[in-house]
Amino acid sequence: MNGLRIIKWAGLAAIVGLAIALPYVISSFYVNMATQMLFFGLFALSINLIAGYGGMVTLGQAGLLGIAGYGLGIFYTSYALPLGVSALLAIISTIVVAAFLGLMLVRASGVYFLMITLAQGMVVWGIAQRLTTLTGGDNGLRGIARPPFAIEYWSYYYFSLAVVALCVFMIARIVRSPFGLSLKGVREAETRMAPLGYDVKRIKLIAFTISGAFAGVAGLLLAMYNNFFSPPSVYVKASAEGLLMSILGGVGTITGAFVGSGVFVFVTNYVSGYMERWPTLLGLIFVLTILFAPDGVVGAWQRLVWAPLLRRFGAADEAELIEVGVGGGGLLSDRDRKVLKSATDGDSAVPEEPSKPVEETRAGS
Amino acid sequence: MSGRQFVLLTLNGISFGALLFLLSSGFTLIFGLMRIVNLAHGSFYLLGGYVGLTLMQGGQSFWVAMVGGALAIAVLGFVVERGLLLRVRGRTMPEVLLTVGLSLIFADLALARWGGDPILLDRPSQFAGTVELGGVTYPEFRLLVLALGVLLAVLMWVLQSRTRIGAIIRAGVDDREMVSALGINVNAVFTGVFVFGALLAGMTGVIGGVFLSLYPGADGEILNFALVVVILGGLGDLRGAIVGSLLVGLIDSFGRSLTPSLSYFLLFAPMALILIFRPRGLFGRATVN
Repeated sequence: MNGLRIIKWAGLAAIVGLAIALPYVISSFYVNMATQMLFFGLFALSINLIAGYGGMVTLGQAGLLGIAGYGLGIFYTSYALPLGVSALLAIISTIVVAAFLGLMLVRASGVYFLMITLAQGMVVWGIAQRLTTLTGGDNGLRGIARPPFAIEYWSYYYFSLAVVALCVFMIARIVRSPFGLSLKGVREAETRMAPLGYDVKRIKLIAFTISGAFAGVAGLLLAMYNNFFSPPSVYVKASAEGLLMSILGGVGTITGAFVGSGVFVFVTNYVSGYMERWPTLLGLIFVLTILFAPDGVVGAWQRLVWAPLLRRFGAADEAELIEVGVGGGGLLSDRDRKVLKSATDGDSAVPEEPSKPVEETRAGS
Repeated sequence: MSGRQFVLLTLNGISFGALLFLLSSGFTLIFGLMRIVNLAHGSFYLLGGYVGLTLMQGGQSFWVAMVGGALAIAVLGFVVERGLLLRVRGRTMPEVLLTVGLSLIFADLALARWGGDPILLDRPSQFAGTVELGGVTYPEFRLLVLALGVLLAVLMWVLQSRTRIGAIIRAGVDDREMVSALGINVNAVFTGVFVFGALLAGMTGVIGGVFLSLYPGADGEILNFALVVVILGGLGDLRGAIVGSLLVGLIDSFGRSLTPSLSYFLLFAPMALILIFRPRGLFGRATVN
């Protein structure tokens, strides 16, 4: 067991070391890709926080990313406030908007939640496009600066790395906190949480708002990276791409978000140079992931490699936790997990359960 | 606002509402029965419109284009339902997300085939003129859309309340398992309903190509309108789709005229109110699950 802990920490140390050494090893093109991977990963992680840990799958997260991006642009370029102040105000705006949108969402779950977030995201996009006096419409907002100490590609990479690492640390703390556990409780059995004395609506609202704040940080990094912000960053497609990263990497895992964003950035920056129809490729990846690997790359890794390793080293309890999906899997029903588990065990018999449709439009408890 | 302007905006709102009803009736029917939120419905609409465009460029009439668009998308709907959705049947999230992935693919392929410029389809020659109505000169085509909307509403009402298939669908909405226990092939009914919804979406796409024009992104925009319609009206309910469509059409029409930059926000306000005070929508109700 201790051996495994050491492997885990050594892996983490290797990743950190590699991340720090990166600009010394690879060219600016790839460093920029790594920077994008960082902030898109944070965006995917913000979706992961509510979708993976809270079971609330959102298709409107780019709207919140956009509030921050536009907020920064408006405060900095139109009102000529200092960059730091603009960024702070942008994040505060994002939190306020997220809390307001969250109020509309607390009574919804499942597909209904997803639909409402989609509509909300579209409204933010519609406003971004039509309120041209504030947002510049289709032309977007130009002249968003990077911090003076992070102008160069490599310094901006380190800046993003520091910001994203801090956010990841905070998110890791949140999901392990009592609040994070109650959030998982909402995901696993929403109706049972209320009788246990949990205020489900409050948990959902707080989770949605926190998640929005992190999406906002990703939005700031995106806006400063491009020195520019425009409606496509807010469009439903951007939300869907964020969800794709989250699912591809593995919902309910922290590393998964960055694996997903890595694939996304690779396709949009690299493959797009060779293949004109790369958006189709992204869509195909999305469809195939959902059909064949609903627990994503990291989920499959944990299930197929990590859990058997744990078992071999005598940590059967922890292996069991992974196999029944307590660590993650907001997209998977209990039955899905059993199917995956039996497939892993080489057991062809899929447990048949009466298909019990989940009540989607559950009004408040 | 002058009386004439009021009449004009009202007519615009109602005819746009009729277009929305043509689209959202299929959307809400699919949800009501199958519990699938088909987020590729906007793509079905746009692709239907583009198929119609190709037919019209080939010299066919509007009517042929409309039927062609509808049939092509019905076939596409059949392939999607049997080839993909059936594989994840009963797993809510994968079903929805599959349609999201498909909509990304369809949008890109449509861009590759039909390009990025907005295209306005020609009106059918029989309905290219205008009529005098309540003191305003109004295009006949928009009245045709209104008539089609009313016709579909009546047809669907008769279908739902007076026919055997309608009874099966209503029963399926309330209690899917009981219906299959009665010996009805629910999978066949599902496919039928999905294909019917796709057919309507494809047909509406050709009409929408005349009404609004076709362009990349029209899929997402019209889908959003359909979403707001069903959120307001209540998912899976025909009356909800009618009332929701009219409401959204009117709000959009007046909103665009009064505060063009904030019309999207006006759409948002009633949605927020409904969600906070009546989260199942105006006509939504508890289903036996």
